[in-house]
Amino acid sequence: MTTLGWIFMTTSLTLVWGGTFWCFKKVLTSPRGEKEESES
Amino acid sequence: MSSESKNEEWGSKLGVILAVAGSAVGLGNFLRFPGQAADNGGGAFLIPYFCALFLLGIPIGWAEWTMGRYGGKKGLHSAPMIMGAVGKGRLARYFGVLGVLIPLGVSTYYVFIETWTFAYFLKYLGGGIGIVQGTSIAEQTAASGSFYASITGSAGDGTLFTGDSLYTVISWVVVFAINIFFVYRGLSKGIEKFVSYAMPIMAVCALIVLVRVLTLGTPDPALPEQNVVNGLGYMWNPDFSALGNFKTWLAAASQIFFSLSVGFGVIINYSSYLRKKDDVALSGLTASATNELFEVGFGGMITLTAAFVFLGLSGTTAAVATGSFGLGFNTLPVVFAQMGAFENFIGALWFFMLWLAAITSSLSMYQPAIAHLKEATNWSHRGSTTVIAIIGTIGAGLTLWFTAGGAFWSTVDFWVGTYLIFVLAMVQIIYFAWVFGIDRGWRELHQGASIRVPSIFKFVMKFVAPAYLIIVFVGFTVQNFGASLQASWSNTGSRVAMLTIAGILAYLMVVTIIGEKRLRAAGVDIDDRNPAD
Repeated sequence: MTTLGWIFMTTSLTLVWGGTFWCFKKVLTSPRGEKEESES
Repeated sequence: MSSESKNEEWGSKLGVILAVAGSAVGLGNFLRFPGQAADNGGGAFLIPYFCALFLLGIPIGWAEWTMGRYGGKKGLHSAPMIMGAVGKGRLARYFGVLGVLIPLGVSTYYVFIETWTFAYFLKYLGGGIGIVQGTSIAEQTAASGSFYASITGSAGDGTLFTGDSLYTVISWVVVFAINIFFVYRGLSKGIEKFVSYAMPIMAVCALIVLVRVLTLGTPDPALPEQNVVNGLGYMWNPDFSALGNFKTWLAAASQIFFSLSVGFGVIINYSSYLRKKDDVALSGLTASATNELFEVGFGGMITLTAAFVFLGLSGTTAAVATGSFGLGFNTLPVVFAQMGAFENFIGALWFFMLWLAAITSSLSMYQPAIAHLKEATNWSHRGSTTVIAIIGTIGAGLTLWFTAGGAFWSTVDFWVGTYLIFVLAMVQIIYFAWVFGIDRGWRELHQGASIRVPSIFKFVMKFVAPAYLIIVFVGFTVQNFGASLQASWSNTGSRVAMLTIAGILAYLMVVTIIGEKRLRAAGVDIDDRNPAD
């Protein structure tokens, strides 16, 4: 594997793993919309 | 609306995200993506790929999530009615029929392919698919090909109902029954509950296979160049010359587009069951990110690396040339056969993982049609599910019978699972940005949002995504439509497929018209005369 191959692989993996963890962390720490509002 | 329909909603924020991600993550993540990347510049492919993700996939996904939740506010859950509200009229509503036709049409053959993964899984659990370890690669490939032909019935129409191939039909009955069981149970008790277990299990399976592949080292000391690092290099070494080819950019955009399931009709239905102030911006982003994790993080690391280590450069290149199914069902079993004592364990794990990827997608394909029928007729969930199950059985019966050369299912896949997805996504983003209005859509997207979407995406949603889809749609239609239509009428299987598509479309149009009348009579604002934002 070439140096550029390593760079592309690690950058892509960092982006998808990091992005997914960031999103799930944010989802799990954000409150959900009020229930009663959906029933109007 | 029936009280049953009114009370239906997702049990948790995470549930809807996993359901959408489960719908998106499918066989293409593990089989199609690595082949596309290797064919189009290796690591360099990731440049147009991520461009397409941010300029096309995520923005159109946001539009679909937003439209769905908006429709839900008005008590609407089917793509035709939601599109009618967003597009303020009948034309948009009839275009919205595609949002039911696509998942229902695709389900007719997708469950069949899902059945292959299940049948392979069971065979590996029971001792393998008949590949004899220690024989030559050519003999193993022939054994694998023979099993594949037997499972898929590719030799001729009706062959699945004879001899050993009956195994496929029996497996299909089991797989279809599992699908219908969870769909019967409804959104939160059925689909949501299933994906909340299936998605983490799928991630664990993928992780185990990934660790096994990355620790293969150099299995044959006589062939030192066939090692894991070179296998990764086959996938990731960039060839920048590919970026000068329009085909590379088109392939990247197509991969993103189909992988994320935008324009499929599922997201718009699923998000209609959200609460008024539930977040859609972060949810859409998280579902997309999860799909990318499975595609790039697992698919990009496992499939071709394993093939390269055992089959070498020429063998892997030949495998990629056989396409996604050839790679997944024909070549990889030969690769597993080189793993000695691990063969059946890794084979079972791999196909179980593919089955989970497939069933989390197929479960989502019935829900839009059930919601459509319930909304139009006010029938119960069970009654509507029964009707859709009957339609699904008829469609699947045709798929199981007309197997010669895969003509039936590949015709449905081309027209419904490829062409119409482009059409629906194009229609959706145009109605969202230009009829509903991008400013109104932007405000709607940010209601209850846990993140602030950068305003550049407003421009992307209004101009870039529609322009791209119009160019591809017009280009394809002008260049290939006539020839493709002619090819789709060239043999019995494909002709039956075209008639099946027409039959489903006719059914959906009738139900939509019935629904229009019923909802109007019930005083529901289906043309959005009184905006709900």
